Amino acid sequence: MMADWGLRFFSTVVLLVKVDCENMIFFFLCPFFRGFVSDSRNNLQMRGLVVLLISKAAGPSTADISFQHSMVSGIYSSQRSLAEITELIHTAFLVHRGIVNIGELKSCDGPLKDMQFGNKMAVLSGDFLLANACTSLAQLQNTKVVELISSAIGDLVQGIYYENSQSSEENCLTDDICISTWKDQVFLSHSALLAKSCQAAMELAKHSAEIQDMAFQYGKHMSMSHKLHSDLQPFVKESSTDTVAFSLNSAPAVLHQEFLGREAWIKQIREAQGKGNIMDYKKLQGAIKAGKGVTSAIDLCRFHGNRALAALERFPPSEARAALANIVYAVTRFP
Amino acid sequence: MCDYYFDGKGKAFRPMIVVLMARACNIHHNNSREVQASQRSVAIIAEMIHTASLVHDDVIDDANSRRGKMTVNQIWGERKAVLAGDFILSAASVALARIGNTTIISVLTQVIEDLVRGEFLQLGSKENENERFAHYLEKTFKKTASLIANSCKAVSILGCPDPKVHEIAYQYGKNVGIAFQLIDDVLDFTSCADHLGKPAAADLKLGLATGPVLFACRQFPEMNAMIMRRFSKPGDVERARKYVLQSDGVQQTTYLAQRYCHEATRAISKLRPSPEREALIQLTEMVLTRDK
Repeated sequence: MMADWGLRFFSTVVLLVKVDCENMIFFFLCPFFRGFVSDSRNNLQMRGLVVLLISKAAGPSTADISFQHSMVSGIYSSQRSLAEITELIHTAFLVHRGIVNIGELKSCDGPLKDMQFGNKMAVLSGDFLLANACTSLAQLQNTKVVELISSAIGDLVQGIYYENSQSSEENCLTDDICISTWKDQVFLSHSALLAKSCQAAMELAKHSAEIQDMAFQYGKHMSMSHKLHSDLQPFVKESSTDTVAFSLNSAPAVLHQEFLGREAWIKQIREAQGKGNIMDYKKLQGAIKAGKGVTSAIDLCRFHGNRALAALERFPPSEARAALANIVYAVTRFP
Repeated sequence: MCDYYFDGKGKAFRPMIVVLMARACNIHHNNSREVQASQRSVAIIAEMIHTASLVHDDVIDDANSRRGKMTVNQIWGERKAVLAGDFILSAASVALARIGNTTIISVLTQVIEDLVRGEFLQLGSKENENERFAHYLEKTFKKTASLIANSCKAVSILGCPDPKVHEIAYQYGKNVGIAFQLIDDVLDFTSCADHLGKPAAADLKLGLATGPVLFACRQFPEMNAMIMRRFSKPGDVERARKYVLQSDGVQQTTYLAQRYCHEATRAISKLRPSPEREALIQLTEMVLTRDK
């Protein structure tokens, strides 16, 4: 998904080069990013949708009646902005994730100048999105929400930072991480933003600390099982005639290593590597499938799914709650 | 890695102004010299936002050295540098939220937005000479002065409820900020690399036409073509540098900076006299005469 995304980004950058005028860039950026967020098979607007749904599921707080008339179809306008902010932040970091290290480029990667320009645009446009998010956040006029979302940005950066430090150490094949470290890192890079946004949506409607915590738990566990689900895809697809490369730090691989022991796992990788340092993913995939990694990853995915469903129990039954539960069913279903 | 630039070797120019302004406003309001904890946080946040923007700027400009050290992107690579900048910014916003005042949050988020818009302005240029100068000043305001102006405004809001004082603080910060950047652009031509902590004539190499260049262009119209092609042909940078030093571009820019400083002094003089007010007035002098 990332590679495909990068490609699309650079083709848009080429478009931007031709327009050397800041007003035009502004003019282009807004619809361009809106297009990015919605135009996708991968349902990139998932985060905003979840924030809206959980807002609707929680409804107005009983503590504050005077507030209720400002709701439109069960959602406060501040919660709508929050959903937008969540998407903005997520997109900004997709852009910042795409930055390349100029020093590590090889000549086959294309002209250096273009890559530098691509970096420049990526930094700027990510910053532009973040700045917009900050401005809208300030307009919510709620310091607790500002603090929550800012800390979510901090978590996200830390999570992405770990991701990067793993991929850069090429001589080390995989990280020696256990599943609990993996969970901590995935929480930072994938769950924190959604969990804290859900919590902030409750804070905006002045819900109690308990409801806020339940919303946080839903966001956290749902995105955990979402991540596990996508990590598992290369291992559970029926028609795997062509094997896609998968990350050696994805959940099934990490769990596989836990069962097998690090040394045996490294040995398997070396065998799959063979000549010329080209990884035979098919062979490796077979090795992982033969072990207990896949089944225990599925178990873990269901465990988080159930935790998310349990958190939902605290909300009154409604269509929105049913939709949130359906999301969980979708990410815990395997062929 | 995030500590790298917070080594105390920077000039800490911004937090100094902010703290002085906080005291001047407090004295003006109720004759107390104490700086409130929230005002001190604003000073810290101002420096953090500034540092985050430096980290991102260095990636954008592909710079090599800053404050006499190697830049973050040279040591750790661009990806981590950008993330580090984002992280500093998020820490700044958390600190900002902890102050617990929504007006302050809006004032300081304005800065972040201006910084990004300023960076976009820097990408483009204008054909017409007058427009180009206005464009340059606007860019200067957004990239440098907005941070100082808005953080001065923030501490004045915390220190004193009078909107007139907020405007004074804002005007002072804005004018000093623009003067500061004008002198920075002059130093790019007159100072040597060791002294500045960053390479000389860096702006020209990036294709940027700063104040001195724009003034020189009035005397040497042949520079117009160079500005439009962003000094991209070989030898352009050296020739432009020579033209600027021959013309009175440097003096004119310094003169313009003096006028801004004068404006700043006029604004701050409306506050009740205090040692801090005097220090702020002297600071405008220092901005003009600094050599690094």
